[in-house]
Formats: sequence, structure tokens, C-alpha cells
Amino acid sequence: MTTTAATTTSSSPARPRPTGGPGVRAWGALVAAEARMVVRDTAGLVMPFGMPVLILVMYGISEATEIVLPGSGGRTAFDVFVVPVVLAIVVGIVGVVNMPSFLATYRRTGVLKRLSVTPASPAMVLVAQVVVSAVQTALGVAIALVVATAAFGASAPASPEVALGVLALAAAAMYAVGMLVAAVAPSPNAALALGLVAFFAFGATGGMFGDVSNLPEPVARVGEMMPFGAAVQALGDAWAGQPVAAAHLAALGTAVVVCSLLAARLFRWT
Amino acid sequence: MSAVEARSLTKHYRRRGAVKVAVDDVSLTAAEGEVLGILGPNGAGKTTTVEMIAGVRRPDHGTVRVVGLDPFADRAAVRRVLGVQLQAGYLHGALTVRELARLYRTFYRDGRDPDVLIERLGLAEQREVRYEKLSGGQQQRVAIVLALVGDPRVVILDELTTGLDPQARRQVWAVVESLRDGGATVLLVSHQMEEVERLCDRVVLLDAGRVVAHDTPAGLVAGAGLDQRVLFQVTEPLPAALLEAVPGVDRVEERDGRVVVTGSGDLLQEVSTALVRAGVVATGTRLERATLDDAFLALAGRPLGDDTSVRTTTEEAA
Repeated sequence: MTTTAATTTSSSPARPRPTGGPGVRAWGALVAAEARMVVRDTAGLVMPFGMPVLILVMYGISEATEIVLPGSGGRTAFDVFVVPVVLAIVVGIVGVVNMPSFLATYRRTGVLKRLSVTPASPAMVLVAQVVVSAVQTALGVAIALVVATAAFGASAPASPEVALGVLALAAAAMYAVGMLVAAVAPSPNAALALGLVAFFAFGATGGMFGDVSNLPEPVARVGEMMPFGAAVQALGDAWAGQPVAAAHLAALGTAVVVCSLLAARLFRWT
Repeated sequence: MSAVEARSLTKHYRRRGAVKVAVDDVSLTAAEGEVLGILGPNGAGKTTTVEMIAGVRRPDHGTVRVVGLDPFADRAAVRRVLGVQLQAGYLHGALTVRELARLYRTFYRDGRDPDVLIERLGLAEQREVRYEKLSGGQQQRVAIVLALVGDPRVVILDELTTGLDPQARRQVWAVVESLRDGGATVLLVSHQMEEVERLCDRVVLLDAGRVVAHDTPAGLVAGAGLDQRVLFQVTEPLPAALLEAVPGVDRVEERDGRVVVTGSGDLLQEVSTALVRAGVVATGTRLERATLDDAFLALAGRPLGDDTSVRTTTEEAA
């Protein structure tokens, strides 16, 4: 980093400073700051790290680990249904509930406004939150997978690259929904409420509470195309080694595009 | 070129169908190295004015130049040279004082040592304390640290000592004085007279969104046409018409040996000389000058401490 004009005396009116935005150091510092905020918000860590493990344990001690599904290379119902639901919960909680509540708090309390009067733009905070959320998601997924395999003998996905790709796409879809929640919520409280409602609505219609075949047909069909349901279906296919339905990938992709565009249009900085 | 130049700033708000004028045709300039006070009662438009200068709020009319740059068009360039402490701003609550200062330091290429600033604002003991655990006055001082950490050429400080105890207030004042000595330009929003009289080279007096006066603190007092008063006590009645003839004296009141002489000019000197010449023994002599408080009262027609709401008009256009 150069400071070419630092020696110019203050008597010259428009002391030319190096142009360009904040550097790598600022980005690194902001990501570290967001990471500290997330880690120190202990309550926010319970859901993405604790709830998936709890669900794994509840199903892991059931007969789900013994029901072998035909055409899945010897994988069980636990592998093909439970593990995908748990991973969808991790990306959903981090993206739809936790991230928007941070951003809404930053807006309400004036953090974004304060940053807007520095060379760092408040948009940098959004990006830093997404980076930290991605790390948090990866950690949550890793913990869930370790518990699932070590404690309950879960099998790896039949198509690991597909599973990874689907997971990344699902995370992007959930973050986009989260950005939309942060954009429209008038207060931190509203962001939390809205995020939870969206998360549970997606979850309930997408298989979080068990088989969706008990739901009315139209509800189940819609739920399957929402980010949670689509993620669960596509991940299940990747685990079983079945081809992933294009409709589910399209549903996730649509969520990414539509929610991002709406969020970008509706986001208020103050 | 002035360090800060605002011309004809106007800002309206629409509330419940009525259009409120928060800032009405406000112009001000601050020369390089000058501390300019922006003074007025609550609701006078002080914060709205500096927020427009900082580029936080877009004026409905008028222009702003900070070191010759437009805070909206030349946003990035202005951000590098302008330090801002906003009223009621909040920060990342779970970060410590030092973490915040270091974070904000990374936003600037050139800047000041965060630890030194923290110390100078009396926060050394709170260095490792989270922002959310600090008292209001400590949070206020953190905001000042962050406003200065980029070594700005122009600083906006909005109500910088509100809620501070006297010791912390003096620390902050010393920091502002060192800023001025370092050649920075400071816009200081305040409704505290003592602060303004001590720190400011010139003052813009705002009332109900308009500039009432723009002068040095002493000039404001003089311009308000306020008299001085000389007070003293005598053991024997004053000789008749002794002081009435003294230059500058407007009025003499005497009751139970207490004398109050009202007038202007070099009043104390003239009265003392006259008393000595006449052989009158005066004790407890003191001079009372008008303060900025009195000047505001005279210029705006009400005391500075009054809460005044912004003027309301019923025009439809905003």
C-alpha cells in the first residue's frame, strides 16, 4: 500500500490522496469483525449447530438407520431423507434467520449509516456477513456430517460432487431469501420473526417435520419448489445416486435470482 | 477555498400531510484550520445541517463543498478526508473498543494510532471492553476515536460532550484543541455555551432552521447590542449625577448601598476612574458581560435552552 501524498502539507487545499477504495486489509478486518460478532452471539449458534445434531440423534436412534432403500447402493432412509433435511436446516437457519437479524440490527442501530461516512461502504458489511455465513454453514454441515457418520454410520453421498454443488446452490438460495428478509423487515424484531416464519414455512412444506405426503397435494407441490424442499429433494437424489430433477435445481436458481434482485431493489441502508 | 462551504441548504420533511421545514436556506463557511460552532436549541436544524454537509442526507436545495468536493458526486474522495461523529450512532456491539478502533483504521490509507487515540480520550481502561457494555459517555468517546482515526482534514462532531462527566468533557475539549492546532477544520455542533465559547473561532447561530447570526463568539455578543453591567457597593450614598455623566453609562441604579451601572464601551475603567476622582470608596466591584446565552436570547427572542419544534407550513410541495 502506498501513501504517495502523505507528505503534502495541509496548506494545499485539495491534498491529493491515493484514489481507490479500501484495500484488502479493510476487507479482512471487516470479515474478522463479522466473525467475532457471530461467534460472540452465543444464542445464535445454538440453532445452526445444535438443532441439526439433535435431529440426527432423534432419527439416529430410530429404525430409519435400518431401512435400506432399493436403488440407492445400500443407503438407508437415514442417509437419503434425514441427512439432507439436516443439511437444509443448517443452510436455512444461517441464511434465512441469523444473517438477516444481524443486518437488520446493523441498520436499526445505525451501524450501516456510520459505515457510510467512512471510505468503507455499508455494502462491504453485507458481503462480509455472507462470507462469515458461508463459513458458519460449512462448519455446521461438517459437524452434522461427522455426527451422522461417526455416531450413526451414515454413508457418504453416491455423487459427492453433485451433493456439494446442490448444497452450494441451496446456500445461495437461502442467503438470497435472507437478504430479502433483511431488505423488507422494518426492525430487527421483524427480521427475526419474518426469518423464522419463512424458515418454518419452507421447512414444514419441505419435509423438515417428516414425510410431506400427508400434506394436501398442492401444498406439498409448492413446498417442493421452495428453497428448503428443493434442497432436500436434490440432496436426497445426490445421496442415493439418482439424477437430480431439473425442476429442483431450477427452483433453487430462481430463488437466488428473484430474491437477490428484489433485495437489491428494496434494501434500505438507514 | 474554504474547507467547508454550504450554500442555501434547505431540507423539508413531510409528516402527517404537513410539510415541515427542518433547514431553511442555511449557508455557512469554515476556513481551513477553523473551529466553527453550530449552535442552537433542539430542533433548530443543527444535525440535519451537518448531515447534509457529511453527505448522509441529500439537501432539497443548495450545495455543499468539503475541501472543494461534492460529498455526493465525489463521495469516495470526501470520505477519505472527512471524519464524522454522528449523534446517536451505534457500532458493532460485541466488538471491543480496541477492535473497533483498529477496524475503522483499516478503512483509511493514512491515519492515527488507534491505541494513542483511545488513551487520549481516556478509554485506556476500557480498551478490551465490548462496546455494548460501555456507558453512554464512553460510547460517545469511542465515536470520537473513530471519527479521528483516519486523520481527517475536516471533522464533524455532533454534540460531542453530551452525557460526559466534567473530566471527560475536558479531555474531549483538549482533543478538539489539538485538532485545531494540527490544522484540521472542525464543525462542532453544540448547544452548550461554555463549549462553544472555549473552542470555537466562529459560530453559526441557528434557530428554527434558519441562520440567525454568523460571527465570532465575541462578535455575536457585541452584535446583539447587549450592555455590560458594573456592580459595586458603597457605604455612603453616591454624589448626585456623578456617574450619569461618565462616558458609556446608560443607567445607574442604587439601592441600600448596592449600585448597578449599565452601559457599554470601556465601562469598568470609566466608572472606576470617576469613583476614585470623587473619592468614593467602592467595594466588591465586578463586571458582568453578556454571554452567548444572552446573545441568543436577544437574537432569537427566547432562551437557548427552550425546546422548539421546527416550523410547520401547510404547503403541499416538499
